[in-house]
Amino acid sequence: MDAYKLMKELRVNYEQEVFYLPKETGLSLIESTTQDDSRISAKCRDAKVEDLWSLTSFFGYSTQTFVLAVNLLDRFLAMMRIQPKHLSCVSLSCLHMAAKVTEEECNLTPTDELIRIGQCRFTVSDLARMEKIVAEKLNFKSKAVTALTFLHLYHRIALSHSTDRKETLNLEKLEAQLKACLCRISFSKAKPSVLALSLLRQEIEAVQSEDMLEIAYHIQRHLKIADAELLLWSGRVAQCLSDYASPECSKPNHRKLQWIVSRRTAQNLHSYRSVPELPTIPEGGWDESESEDSCEDVMSSGEESLSSSLGSDAEGPFFPLHFRRQKHRQHLLHA
Amino acid sequence: DEGSAHSSFIPNRPTLLLLKVTSYVPAPEQPELFLKKLQQCCTVFDFMDTLSDLKMKEYKRSTLNELVDYVTVSRGYLTEQAYPEVVKMVSHNIFRTLPPSDSNEFDPEEDEPTLEASWPHLQLVYEFFIRFLESQEFQPSIAKKYIDQKFVLQLLDLFDSEDPRERDYLKTVLHRIYGKFLGLRAFIRKQINNIFLRFVYETEHFNGVAELLEILGSIINGFALPLKAEHKQFLVKVLIPLHTVRSLSLFHAQLAYCIVQFLEKDPTLTEPVIRGLLKFWPKTCSQKEVMFLGELEEILDVIEPTQFVKIQEPLFKQISRCVSSPHFQVAERALYYWNNEYIMSLIEENSSVILPIMFASLYRISKEHWNPAIVALVYNVLKAFMEMNSTLFDELTATYKSDRQREKKKEKEREELWKKLEDLELKRGLRSDGIIPT
Repeated sequence: MDAYKLMKELRVNYEQEVFYLPKETGLSLIESTTQDDSRISAKCRDAKVEDLWSLTSFFGYSTQTFVLAVNLLDRFLAMMRIQPKHLSCVSLSCLHMAAKVTEEECNLTPTDELIRIGQCRFTVSDLARMEKIVAEKLNFKSKAVTALTFLHLYHRIALSHSTDRKETLNLEKLEAQLKACLCRISFSKAKPSVLALSLLRQEIEAVQSEDMLEIAYHIQRHLKIADAELLLWSGRVAQCLSDYASPECSKPNHRKLQWIVSRRTAQNLHSYRSVPELPTIPEGGWDESESEDSCEDVMSSGEESLSSSLGSDAEGPFFPLHFRRQKHRQHLLHA
Repeated sequence: DEGSAHSSFIPNRPTLLLLKVTSYVPAPEQPELFLKKLQQCCTVFDFMDTLSDLKMKEYKRSTLNELVDYVTVSRGYLTEQAYPEVVKMVSHNIFRTLPPSDSNEFDPEEDEPTLEASWPHLQLVYEFFIRFLESQEFQPSIAKKYIDQKFVLQLLDLFDSEDPRERDYLKTVLHRIYGKFLGLRAFIRKQINNIFLRFVYETEHFNGVAELLEILGSIINGFALPLKAEHKQFLVKVLIPLHTVRSLSLFHAQLAYCIVQFLEKDPTLTEPVIRGLLKFWPKTCSQKEVMFLGELEEILDVIEPTQFVKIQEPLFKQISRCVSSPHFQVAERALYYWNNEYIMSLIEENSSVILPIMFASLYRISKEHWNPAIVALVYNVLKAFMEMNSTLFDELTATYKSDRQREKKKEKEREELWKKLEDLELKRGLRSDGIIPT
């Protein structure tokens, strides 16, 4: 597609993106909620989105499915007040709905498997009902304009301008970075076009391409995105990505995963930890003195002799087997 | 004396029909009576013939009981003369040629063992001997004249008894002897070495491996630091090869305990131990694989982080293979490592090395494994990795996907090539004379 057509498509999407934005007041409400059993908090939502990413990755779904699912989820949460205990069902419904419109039918995971792997407690019919509710409330048919839409467009634009040049931007890397940002609810407040452009510029700065930077400016002017807005979100994106790449790993702070093993395995899990019945026999320092070996070496030739030092007939103090262990160790500091 | 009753055992000799020692005989006469009873018990009866000498057998049994009580409660009874008599009586009763096992097909894991017929007497003799050894008055300096290397050799032979009760007593007896006779310790260790080596490399038959290992566990536990070279050699040359034996399940718990004790004593032994286990990793026996995985987890529970780093690559290459095993118990046991907090912390610290090794297998089996429970566990593991090192995980996912696409492309190209060849063949055949050549 030539550059002109791409820019036109860009404009069209830009005008439509506002219809797919989650309500800002709704998002703010979630962000300001502290951990609570009756309302969804930001932490709650973020953890759930991470779960969605795990499932997306596990089932081999595309980034498109994930981004769409998160978009549906955020729009729904910003609109409806739901209890935390229903969050699993809502998020899984969004994932399934997104997968249905994005993935090929043969790659679609059936809902019972989705629920089983996601370690959820509701039923297949619960999920189906929730899907209907979400679709109705959001008036969802099959598409949404998301940050990914823009990311793809930007990427194609950049490509079309630099076909004779070696440097291209790694789309997969950009998608992964977008995914990292979406795991934080604050980024759902950004306009998708701005978020995508921030990511683009971040990557351009990393590869240090003057030409690409020129293209980014071109896009910004075309869409009339304010410098201040872009700067704001670029800063936040940079912060998020540096946290994401930091070597400190994040321990999951939500519920522990279930580890279900078969009965036979469970039975044998700690059979080795049995405490031995026989009391410890401390090693004596004096019974290792070298002396003539009077017994036959029974081992076949070729095998190294294992023990050259045999016990002497040295008298040793009588060892009561109990309680002397600790004291005795102090005397046995070296062989 | 073996076989039927000895003539000196005639019950109507009043001096021999003795009443209970403690109650009826004055204290000064008791030691001598003790000796006489010991001598009486040297006579061994034939229990294979269940009807013979019933009265005499009963008499001996009650006499043995008296001896057990006497040794337990008495004071000042152990004279120097008693020692040789005790050892003689015990030797007469327990040292014997063990009957050959019923058939060559006796499988210690499956079949019921043949129990010792003379157990009613044998048990009391062992009981008596143990209490004698543990008695406060027992003096090794006197006893060592009679409990010598020859005695120990014969004792060790008995560990091949099929009767587990006998082996259990023998275990206690040898344990006490090892504890009290310092001069015999090196000899005992050497003989046990020989038994194990013969077992591993020649016969693969010996019933007392578990009991001997249990004794060794208590010895290893008491090793002084730094460990002597002899002990380290024992670990590498005997204990590790013991893992290769077919009947491992009979003594694996004790063997694993010994290994872990060694590593707690000297952590620098970790690398040779794990490399040894990896070298001998079972290739055709899944039950053994599950045992190895259990033992490995025990080792990892106590491993030092610096040691872990040394062996993590070959280790996780093997774990990666286990996780992909079609045998669900093997896969399950390997995946369960990720539920171990300490192991998880080690993996986290080294995720950049471990994740690439595990990734491909995990991803593949998440799609291909037949067992749904395994698939669910794999999800847990992948999720843990994802949270541990997100950027690396993303990279590996991308590489994996592009590799798969390349493979698919190659497949497609290959299929097309074959199709082209087929078409060519057909065309050629049709051109010449309309007949397709064979």
